[in-house]
Amino acid sequence: MSPIKLGVIGLGYIGQIHLRHIKRILNAQVVAAADLSKKALTKARNNGVENTYSNYEQLLENPEIDAVIIALPTHLHLECALRAAEAKKHIFLEKPIARNVKEAKEIVSAAYKNSVKLMVGYPLRFNTEFRELKQRISKGEFGDVEIAYATYISSGPFFHRAEGYAPVPVPEWWFNKELTGGGVLIDLGSHIINLLRWYFGEITDIRAQLGYRFNMDVEDSAMCLARFQNGTRAAVNVGWFSQQYQLKVDLLGSVKHATLSHVPSNPISTVIQMLTSGTSRFYFPHKSELQYFVDCLIRELNPEPSGQDGLKDLETITKAYENQIHLE
Amino acid sequence: MRVSKNSINSMRQAISEALSLIDYSFNDNIKSVVIKPNLCYYWDYSTGQTTDPRFVAALIDLIRKKISPEPNISIVESDASAMKCAHVFRMLGYEKLSNDYDVELVNLSKDKSETIATTAGDLRVNVSLPQTIAKADLKLNVTKIKYTMEPIKITCALKNIFGCNPYPRKFRYHPKLEETIVAINKIMRFDLNIIDGNIVSGIQPRRIGLVMASTDPVAIDAAASEIAGVNPRTIRYLQIAKEEGLGKTSFIPKGVPIGYFKSVYPRKTINKKLMSKAYSLVTRIGLSRKIGLG
Repeated sequence: MSPIKLGVIGLGYIGQIHLRHIKRILNAQVVAAADLSKKALTKARNNGVENTYSNYEQLLENPEIDAVIIALPTHLHLECALRAAEAKKHIFLEKPIARNVKEAKEIVSAAYKNSVKLMVGYPLRFNTEFRELKQRISKGEFGDVEIAYATYISSGPFFHRAEGYAPVPVPEWWFNKELTGGGVLIDLGSHIINLLRWYFGEITDIRAQLGYRFNMDVEDSAMCLARFQNGTRAAVNVGWFSQQYQLKVDLLGSVKHATLSHVPSNPISTVIQMLTSGTSRFYFPHKSELQYFVDCLIRELNPEPSGQDGLKDLETITKAYENQIHLE
Repeated sequence: MRVSKNSINSMRQAISEALSLIDYSFNDNIKSVVIKPNLCYYWDYSTGQTTDPRFVAALIDLIRKKISPEPNISIVESDASAMKCAHVFRMLGYEKLSNDYDVELVNLSKDKSETIATTAGDLRVNVSLPQTIAKADLKLNVTKIKYTMEPIKITCALKNIFGCNPYPRKFRYHPKLEETIVAINKIMRFDLNIIDGNIVSGIQPRRIGLVMASTDPVAIDAAASEIAGVNPRTIRYLQIAKEEGLGKTSFIPKGVPIGYFKSVYPRKTINKKLMSKAYSLVTRIGLSRKIGLG
């Protein structure tokens, strides 16, 4: 079987992670990368990527490439995804699928018209513990889940300037609402909304209370209340305001409760894991989602989370922005 | 001195008492004042990493009371490799402070500057002196106490003035960082150094209510190092600064006994010190890049 040949478009933070993982997954080969940064392209070449481009359109013209991983800033998703679909490349697109519902619909439609597969990157769906939780919910182990609490708090784009670590520059587009489409609700909230929709089905009502601790154009915290079609209610808290990372889901069911966290390893464990397996436990779900994407292409299956999923998430988040609760 | 309550009034009182202890009085003829807080990154005062805008507000109140309501006051910072003033002023509450207190915010990276050649230790370097700093009648350094990377160890008064260097890509100075810190301080001599230690970062943030003031940046850094549990004699740039005549490493503490602040400062544990050294080693040998951490 010949491997799926992949091109990575965008070699920022998440693009670099994908590039590192592709080299370690089965039946895949990274043959090209595109980025505006010469430094990033040089690094990619040094890591064995044969073809590097400063313009992704040139990458899309490469007939060798079967599929692309789009890891660009959100405002560039639409154009790049449309071009990739027209070039008949299957697409793995980082979340959020787009800045708004209109753009997301265009992307989904382009993938459908051009018969290319479209998957949106939600690594939580590939975290072993979170997958097991899905099975336990489906089996009815918790009874009816009456209430779910989901929290995703971190420093977001403002990376922790931990002692001993160099500060990390924040790309300018993060400060521009026009380019991001929103703040933490669209950034981290999309992970949680997608996860909870996977667990409980569609959201019928959602309201949000937004916080602006850092006086930005976009919210840096959001508290949401949501009701699902199956009757479950959820409280979702997301924020960019903390130096401490927390990703946690609590399920309160009529039979049983569950608590699940996704915690980064300490730096020493991370180094050991990186040296031994090429990824850390924390980023293992990112590797798994790429393996799954490649497997779907080989077996000609439609990958999930699909573009339609990404669109639904964005529709839900848009509703939350529209239904704001204002506290005095 | 200690800030008793987490309020502007309490901060103003503590600053005022600290200045009385060192017999500092403001000159009456001051027309322009520069205040240099520490705004290293997009983290607010609660982390102990950046100067609290309320502390600066308290200082502005004091200046206007002691001198006159007239002086032009500028709060200055410069862009850095990972931080842009335009965002940091807004995100950390300095834009609001500027509006509420009618003070100017100056990005020194966009200020006119003149280049001055100087030396520090064995380093010969050209330092850009921003016009706003050059023209100020009174220059106030409102700093924090923080641990930082080896070999600098401590960020306090002298290191904060390194942030007045308008060139944004400051990592280019890292091979000779200690000498560069001293060289910049030789060109930009601040009149008064005040530590906003209400919340300090340490190995974790802690509200210890410390306010410390001195006209000698070397002495205040030496005192701050002792509070943070770092022997000032092991900090090379303090020794270079002393040799270059910027101040003395000896000091006479006044006010609340320094032992109190030593006892409450969130000091580095042995584990943290080892982790810091290990990370520094991993970075130095390039392993962090090889495994994708860098």
